[in-house]
Amino acid sequence: MGADAETDSDAETTRLTEYTELHGCSCKVGQGDLDSLLADAGLTGESDPLLFGIGEDAAARKLTDDIALVSTVDFFTPIVDDPYDFGRVAACNAASDAFATGAVENVDCLVVLGLPRELTDNAAPILAGMADALDTMDGVIAGGHTIMSPWPFAGGAISATARPEALLTSQGASPGDQLYLTKPIGTQPAMGATRVTDEQFVETVTDATDRPLDTIASEAIEWMTTPNRDAVSACREHATAATDITGFGLAGQSRVVAARSNVGIELTHLPVIAGTPDLSTLFGYGLTDGESAETSGGLFVSVPPTATDAVESAFDDAGVFYRAVGHATAGRGVTIDDPTLEEVRR
Amino acid sequence: MARVDVRGEICPRPALIVRQALSDLDTGETLVVRGDYPPAEENLRRMCTTHGIDVTTAETAGESDEFELELQVTELASLSEA
Repeated sequence: MGADAETDSDAETTRLTEYTELHGCSCKVGQGDLDSLLADAGLTGESDPLLFGIGEDAAARKLTDDIALVSTVDFFTPIVDDPYDFGRVAACNAASDAFATGAVENVDCLVVLGLPRELTDNAAPILAGMADALDTMDGVIAGGHTIMSPWPFAGGAISATARPEALLTSQGASPGDQLYLTKPIGTQPAMGATRVTDEQFVETVTDATDRPLDTIASEAIEWMTTPNRDAVSACREHATAATDITGFGLAGQSRVVAARSNVGIELTHLPVIAGTPDLSTLFGYGLTDGESAETSGGLFVSVPPTATDAVESAFDDAGVFYRAVGHATAGRGVTIDDPTLEEVRR
Repeated sequence: MARVDVRGEICPRPALIVRQALSDLDTGETLVVRGDYPPAEENLRRMCTTHGIDVTTAETAGESDEFELELQVTELASLSEA
């Protein structure tokens, strides 16, 4: 089904990203606005029936002593023009919130899809992309809801299960923990470059980096369609806290972990998709400050020093990309002071 | 005083448009940018401060999401060589 969708000629001529002002996870409402909204609505995050909920990547409810049900919803505007790829990225991104809690079994996805009337032909390839992506996560599409919308968007409500004691939140990091990131950052500048197609600026963007823009973009799509399932399966036994990197960027997600774990976070090493720092500088995105929005980014996990060897060995065995990017400290807030940049090529 | 209007432009075009306009200016000259897309304001501020362009917010305020920035080319400006 995926191969047919990919070669659909109508879909190839549509530029999905032209229909929105914000793209991928950069359409996410900011942390400050979200906090105000929750406070205004009286939603404190405490809910007795749940193991955890508001403020975390997903909610978890203990069903039995052996099973916890994790649920989450995530959808966003197109980050890529190809509808099949958009579907794959959307499914991967939605499931990532469940994986960030350590829940990797019994993955079901209820599709959330909105398209303008003139783009309804894209529905089938988007769904095909989502289904194929879920297949790689041993998950299924269990249903969904589709509406007409002036801005296209896609994603899903994900449910998954885990043993209650295997669950992770953003609250468990301790001073001294090593921090790992399981994908390089840089999806926003990589995909932003693909939206510059007019003669006026194509040369400026092309000349900004030594790498071909389509190579950078295709690598970004490869990373965005890599599920975080293997990564969390490898480390959840030893990790003390976890989240995934999304629209808040690496720095923003680090601030979440720092605040919720009552630690400081010092980031010293940033793996980036090769070529994206130059594009970020051109576009003013703040990638090397960790402020650039990420779409379907990697897992960000804290691991006690005593378990780093075991976790790195498990990542290696699973074939998962990972880099040690910093430490949790006894301080507060997030520090990114002249980090080393590692340009990653696939 | 040079002016550029990036309202309605989709990211990352506002940064590219402003960058091009700035590269035509000499030290001490000012460019006024009007936009309507909050993330673009942040990106423009970041791009300018890393390239030696002074950024101040103009007093005029339009609709809620609209912004106007005054960008002044300093002796440290490096955009024209980028």
